[in-house]
Amino acid sequence: MYPSAIAKHAEIDTAVTEVVGLLAPDVVRIRYEIGQDWSGDWAIHFRVILSDEAGHQKLRQVAKEVVRLLASRLDFPAMGVFPYHNFRTASEQAAIQEEAWA
Amino acid sequence: MPFADDLLLDAHHLAQRGGTNPKQSSLRRAVSTAYYALFHLLIADFVLNWKRPDQRVRLGRMFEHRKMVQAAFRPQGGVAVQIEAKLKIVVDSFAQLQEDRHIADYDVGTIWSRAEVTNALAIADEAFLAWRDIRKEKIA
Repeated sequence: MYPSAIAKHAEIDTAVTEVVGLLAPDVVRIRYEIGQDWSGDWAIHFRVILSDEAGHQKLRQVAKEVVRLLASRLDFPAMGVFPYHNFRTASEQAAIQEEAWA
Repeated sequence: MPFADDLLLDAHHLAQRGGTNPKQSSLRRAVSTAYYALFHLLIADFVLNWKRPDQRVRLGRMFEHRKMVQAAFRPQGGVAVQIEAKLKIVVDSFAQLQEDRHIADYDVGTIWSRAEVTNALAIADEAFLAWRDIRKEKIA
């Protein structure tokens, strides 16, 4: 059975846009993907690109704020997904060039 | 030093290897080791607090990793008190590190960056502190 998050992309997009706006310029962009985690449970993986300055000087502070603000806007249990969050700096992504983070 | 602390220290050493050009092997092992550090911290307390010493080893073996995440605690009725908030840090950290560890160990296509690994280790550090603040509380 699919989680209700699958049908809530508009709501998720709105929340993501708000969070990026609130935390700019530290947060450059947030991508997400709904799929299954390692155990087969439904999950939403957020991939967050931080500015180089934020990534080097206040990584954890900004990361925690991203997690908090997303959780305050999106009811993950009601959506049937576990949230996961990963963070890279803009220069790291520029070097790695991974599509899922672009 | 307890085994869990040794593992966490190992994770930090692995993450710092290679300076500005770390090997993927070091970064992956750092993430995996950070997860196992937290796992061993939690399971050691759980098993040691079991009242029947003869059942402790068996209990430890029965302790499936996933069960710890499924025991996810959600504060009831609004704002969490401090103990609840710290327990939530432990549970959320465990879930994140468990997923990270699986990707680090088995998804060879994923490239890890220094920032991702630094964040994973910070999550483990915070979970250690939070757990040690509340480990004697009933709710934990």
